[in-house]
Amino acid sequence: MAATAPTVAGTTATPVPPARRRRPKVGAYGLLVPASIIIGIALGYPLVRQFVISFQEFGLKQQFGAAPEWVGLQNYKDLLTDSYVWTVIARSVAFCLVNAVVTMAIGMSLAVLMQRVGRSARITLQVSLLLAWGTPVLASMTVWQWLFDTQNGLINWTLSNVLGIESMAQHSWIIEPLSFFFVATVIVVWMSVPFVAFSVYAGLLQVPTETMEAAQLDGASARQRFWGITIPMIRPVLSIVLLLQVIWDLKVFTQIYVLQRAGAPTRDTNLLGTLIYSYSKEFGLAGALATIMLVLTLALTGFYIRQMLKEDEL
Amino acid sequence: MKILRFAAVGVAAALALTACSSDSDTPSETTKPTASESAAAPEAATIKLWLNGTDTPDALREYLTTTFAAQNPGSKLVIEQQDWNGLVPRLQTALASEDQTPDVVEVGNTQSATFTYAGAFSDLTSLYPELGGDKLLPGFVEAGTADGKIMAVPYYSGARAVFYNKDMFKDAGVEVPTTLADFTKAAQKLTTDKVSGFWFPGQDWYNGATWIYTNGGDLAVQDGDQWKGALSSPESIKGLTEVQELFKTATKAPADSDSNEPWVPFNQGKAAMFSAPTWARWSIDLPECNEGVAADDKSDEATAKRTKQQACNEEHTGVFPMPGLDASKVATAFAGGSNIGIPAKSQHQELAQNLLKIIFSAEFQNMLGQNGLIPGNSEYATSMGDDVYAKAAIAAALGAKLTPAAENWATVEGDRILEDFFQKLATGADVTKSAADADKLITDTLN
Amino acid sequence: MSAVAAPTTLGVPADRPTRVAATRATDSGRSQTSTSRRVLGALAIVVAIAWVFPIYWMINSAFQPLNKLQAEDPTWLPLGGTVANFRQVIDDGTFWQAMRTSLAVVVLVLFAALIFAFLAALAVSRFRFKGRKSFILAILVVQMIPAEGLFISQYQVLDGWGLVNKVLGLALVYTAAILPFTIWMLRGFVAGVPIELEEAGMVDGLSRVGAFFRITFPLLAPGLVAAGVFGFLQAWNEYTLALVVMTDPEQRTLPLWLQSLVESNRATDWGVVMAGSAVIAIPVIAFFLLVQGRMTSGLVSGAVKG
Repeated sequence: MAATAPTVAGTTATPVPPARRRRPKVGAYGLLVPASIIIGIALGYPLVRQFVISFQEFGLKQQFGAAPEWVGLQNYKDLLTDSYVWTVIARSVAFCLVNAVVTMAIGMSLAVLMQRVGRSARITLQVSLLLAWGTPVLASMTVWQWLFDTQNGLINWTLSNVLGIESMAQHSWIIEPLSFFFVATVIVVWMSVPFVAFSVYAGLLQVPTETMEAAQLDGASARQRFWGITIPMIRPVLSIVLLLQVIWDLKVFTQIYVLQRAGAPTRDTNLLGTLIYSYSKEFGLAGALATIMLVLTLALTGFYIRQMLKEDEL
Repeated sequence: MKILRFAAVGVAAALALTACSSDSDTPSETTKPTASESAAAPEAATIKLWLNGTDTPDALREYLTTTFAAQNPGSKLVIEQQDWNGLVPRLQTALASEDQTPDVVEVGNTQSATFTYAGAFSDLTSLYPELGGDKLLPGFVEAGTADGKIMAVPYYSGARAVFYNKDMFKDAGVEVPTTLADFTKAAQKLTTDKVSGFWFPGQDWYNGATWIYTNGGDLAVQDGDQWKGALSSPESIKGLTEVQELFKTATKAPADSDSNEPWVPFNQGKAAMFSAPTWARWSIDLPECNEGVAADDKSDEATAKRTKQQACNEEHTGVFPMPGLDASKVATAFAGGSNIGIPAKSQHQELAQNLLKIIFSAEFQNMLGQNGLIPGNSEYATSMGDDVYAKAAIAAALGAKLTPAAENWATVEGDRILEDFFQKLATGADVTKSAADADKLITDTLN
Repeated sequence: MSAVAAPTTLGVPADRPTRVAATRATDSGRSQTSTSRRVLGALAIVVAIAWVFPIYWMINSAFQPLNKLQAEDPTWLPLGGTVANFRQVIDDGTFWQAMRTSLAVVVLVLFAALIFAFLAALAVSRFRFKGRKSFILAILVVQMIPAEGLFISQYQVLDGWGLVNKVLGLALVYTAAILPFTIWMLRGFVAGVPIELEEAGMVDGLSRVGAFFRITFPLLAPGLVAAGVFGFLQAWNEYTLALVVMTDPEQRTLPLWLQSLVESNRATDWGVVMAGSAVIAIPVIAFFLLVQGRMTSGLVSGAVKG
């Protein structure tokens, strides 16, 4: 791997609290202006509007010009008293946690693997992960659908013809919710592992050799060194990657939507992302659910974020 | 708002600069006329028609553009083809925009009610007599009517008929069934380990609705100003029980497929019967008839071969309207098809009306019929000809029925409640309980 | 990011390392026997094959004629295959149209997002100012809000400025969507380049701008590449927003094009669908392989660190 690393990376790269300098603070604000304007217009304003609408009765009629009616917390009340919404929330959280954990576990294992194998094996693994990562999601969704296809899918063929499980010949993978989420997990994990593996690998490379050598001299076993030194040292990378996985997996939309359209029972497989999309004719509800989802995400990740704030990692 | 607007111009400029690319301001060639024009006599302009999918053949599109240009000197018609998939979000956004709205738009008949109630369309009540009045397919007109005003009118309809493989019928000693009960028996008899007597995928509620309607049931009924799911009415249950019987004993179709392209298994010899709009005849391609000509080969030889191939296919394939409860009438099938209307935000109402008049002219209606579509004006149904396909189509169309004209029906479809429900039946769930559950969902959604 | 100051369980103080082993780490290399290394190498190859298999299968299927795809037994190799599927996909003029639109969008988005994100990253990592933490928190929180319900409002914003059905309009929304993450990512890099280096350059007679471009920028390049890859993927793949913004068939992006190809072929011809998927994957894969070295080193130098 090319050693282009900016000399002082790693742990020392603490954004040396740059309580700085020369350039006036106005400069800092100036630098934020372009990004803030774009985010403000094309993301911020729609988000604020969505939040406002969550307190209104706002449907298609309003979209075509009727005046919206303020309903206070009614949309929130409607959602939070609907047991189906709670089912979907629970389902989403479970899906998110399982996927985040599995992705992290596999991603970390592959990162360690990359570190311990020879050059050619490592490059092979890296290129293969890059390919999986780089394939556009719609393209990979079509191939996954085709692999799991009931009639002509390779997976059913392998199970029934190679492994001799006759009953799998025309098996539908997506018609049972559990099996559906299994397929979805395989796909989501397949797509997310490369990012985790590369990031963690990057972290591993920054564990200083001297520390490891010293530990080895002290008689620490490989396992002790891994859990005692490596993991704590790459913890910042791990926590940020995990944080991002949780955020992304809770929002998962495309994979679920495409699989649903492939013939799964929709109501039994909705997650928060697809549920919000299905409210797209009742923007009030959609907005309220989006807010609920934000609160949920903050609840799941608040601990980490506070931690990062405290450690000044932000 | 002014400030924001100004900022955006700056951003846009910045984007354009950083891009150093001429692509950044691709000219909008669809020449949107400026919104400010309001006309006494229709000012010359370019109007936009949205047609969905490939159902409207090219020849008909050409006819529309040339006729429109000839009748409205200086004006032009641009047809933009949209995909059925994702149409609803597109309509939701574009129809609300003065700049972007098409001037005439086709919507699926099941989506029609949602948009008419939302106020997306202009009132066509005064134009209605001129477009065909009572001769227009009544179910579609109903779907296009909100609060007594006619907002969208029928464009075309596609009636479902059953296609069958004559050779398989002969081998199994099966005759064309004459009652709905016979149909089930025939389908069961035709079913083998590999072959579906009737291709009936689990999510295919378009066909499943036939059994509900024919037995006198409905998907939802209006009760005062409330809508109620009607799947658990005794009539519906009777139909649905037959549906489950078919799922269990007469089909090998996967429970996770829908009504899309049922002719594929038919062509592969995996199904003895399937039910689809009659224009499916052009998709039948039995291996024993295939002459192996490339689709884009335009030579005389290829054309001759194609004709031969089509004749062969039609010789081996029969078609009949789904039979009714007794031999005297046909089943009440679900009618596919679409409505057409003028968005309220269109800036060219008068030109748009001129276009509608062309669409509802005798000539264009006949062209629809000649292409196997049941024209919106039933008077011209005879243009479909009198071969078996036309006969089956017309017979089926006379009894056809639409989805409930409820304001929120599109949400029922968007949530895929009926797909889920029929799929449950296909996997053996209890009919009465599933129907009650689905009814509850439908009722909640519609009100 | 702060150093892990806590002493380890072994009592070895995890003292702030002064140097980073940027080349291959060797922590356990020494103790590994060559057998175990070979076993692990084999394992890595197996994992690599498993991971890449779906993509292989996509390409393989794209070369198969319909009758082979629907045959009882699968065909494992594209030997004796056909390019007819690809021909059908590419001969369709709409493909190139969509390709041009997508490329234009991606180029615009990458330029705008990288430059603006870089400026913002500079601000948050080089300056202490009021609202700095709030800004960073905000760009993190914004990523937690689902985008599926936003398309109506975003459409209206674009419509207000006549940007619907325009490459520029779509690029604007995409840029806004990827900016938060890009800023988040880049600020780690910017923080990693010590300002002292730049100052040293200035002492040696370079101008401030010169110092920046000669010293800082090259060190940031891997970071920009890594961030660019993310932006590229997002802008290349996005579907729901493009669906409503690009309604004119002549302005379709590749995902919309693929969707309508899938729509008309899913039940009929998976070969064509696979060929369609493959052709939209190829530019991305090419881009990935092109920047591969840089990107890995980019990630290595701290893409996602604090």
